[in-house]
Amino acid sequence: MGSLAQILVNGILLGSMYGIAAIGLSLIFGTMRIIFLAQGTMIVLFAYLTYWSFEKAGVDPYLSLFTVIPLAFVVGLGLFYLLFRKAAALEDKNVSLLLAVGLMYLIDNLILKIWGATPRGINLSYSGAMLVIGEIRISWLRLALLGLALASALAVYLFLKRTRVGTAVRAASEDMEATTLQGINSVWVCAISFAIGIALAGVAGVGMATVYSFDYQFGFIFAIKALVALALGGIGNVFGALAGGLLLGIIENLAAYYIGIAWIEVASYGVFMLVLIFLPQGLFGRRGLVKKV
Amino acid sequence: MLEVEELSVAYGDVRALWDVSLEVEEGSIVALVGANGAGKTTLLKAISGLLRPAGGRIMFEGEDLVHLNTQRRVDKGIVMVPEGRRLFQTLTVLENLRLGAYLPKARAGYGDSLERVFSLFPVLLDRRDGKAGLLSGGEQQMLAIGRAIMARPRLVMIDEASLGLSPILTRTIFDLIVALNEQGTTVLLVEQNIHMALKVCNKAYVMKTGHMVLSGTGDELLANTDVRKAYVGERGSRL
Repeated sequence: MGSLAQILVNGILLGSMYGIAAIGLSLIFGTMRIIFLAQGTMIVLFAYLTYWSFEKAGVDPYLSLFTVIPLAFVVGLGLFYLLFRKAAALEDKNVSLLLAVGLMYLIDNLILKIWGATPRGINLSYSGAMLVIGEIRISWLRLALLGLALASALAVYLFLKRTRVGTAVRAASEDMEATTLQGINSVWVCAISFAIGIALAGVAGVGMATVYSFDYQFGFIFAIKALVALALGGIGNVFGALAGGLLLGIIENLAAYYIGIAWIEVASYGVFMLVLIFLPQGLFGRRGLVKKV
Repeated sequence: MLEVEELSVAYGDVRALWDVSLEVEEGSIVALVGANGAGKTTLLKAISGLLRPAGGRIMFEGEDLVHLNTQRRVDKGIVMVPEGRRLFQTLTVLENLRLGAYLPKARAGYGDSLERVFSLFPVLLDRRDGKAGLLSGGEQQMLAIGRAIMARPRLVMIDEASLGLSPILTRTIFDLIVALNEQGTTVLLVEQNIHMALKVCNKAYVMKTGHMVLSGTGDELLANTDVRKAYVGERGSRL
């Protein structure tokens, strides 16, 4: 019993990373209608920046949240206006998708050039600190990650529900042309949701730096995991995306414990296929990655 | 107020409008009628800035609109109620109305506009916190027009207001459009319910396959044999 609880806890903590990334994917998909495959690479990039400021200047990763989040937001705006502004207006979404793929490999290789191929990770003085409840042991750092995921989801939810621009983002996710007809600048709405998506990659990047070791190739796998989480949770619901991430984390940990570590990837992509076939709108979403016929 | 002069629009290589001209006087109701595919919606989209014309001019109060995007045109008071209502279904009635008053000028008059919408459409007041997608067809059309009113339009263009509505509801919507016009809003109406449209309008235009083929007062067109044959149910028309 103790071990099952431990598996669930570990799964939830792993899944919180997927959740943050999935919320970002969901926002970008909502307005721009593309799966932003470079999301994972952006996360890895911000993880490297966090690692770098820790190694060079001794900045505590959690402190660097305050610089990484605004930086990521600005990077997001810049990328949007530089790369995606024209492509996002096209009916053919393949252009944006290909741009995202190109951007992913560009940044992957930039990271390889700057930091090399050796996996990196941060060893904090408090890395080993554990919260012990009965037989369950939880690393404080991973618990903080869950807190980060919950706070991100709540922040995005409040932005979407309580602000004027957030309401416009929800409207644009439903009907871009009708949004334009209200006198709303649809380019700006896309830019904002894209930038928030990248800011979330910043949050996830900091989280990744604190608990994982990562290398330049980690991004793509992570983007796919976030996509699986999004397919599980369904699009159009912030907490659904988060829940999809947590669920994926749990599934992976269950698979590792009951079948074997080598089966983690098989299990998560298997679930991905099953969800797309039998539950295309996801568990909590209004609309899935694929339209129900 | 609005003058469209020899406007041409093309979708890629396919020409949709050929030298179309139309004039809307301030304070009037103008009806634009014609069969499916005649180019009525294309014309409205060009006026609201969703489509870029290949030639011709669109003048609003003496100003050429060609370089203004949709946002600027809405700010000038040109607001479109699109075909099929195009409400934000998962948003509440109030959120839909709030988005209608998005631009600063409209936002400044938000309270007044909201009161005006609720006095024209009291049913929306009762449903204000419900999702727009759960409204009935008639209520959805009211909300679509209400959302346009929130922008404080000078010219409102309504595309197929009666589509999918029962005859009784159609009459109600038309009465409301007339009431809106009497409050000072100029109306450009695209309609499939030609009889109704010709009855309420001051002036009407008939389009066919991308061309403007006839214009006149509503009564003149109602009396026109070709129009009657083509659209009011009599047989053997040339239109």
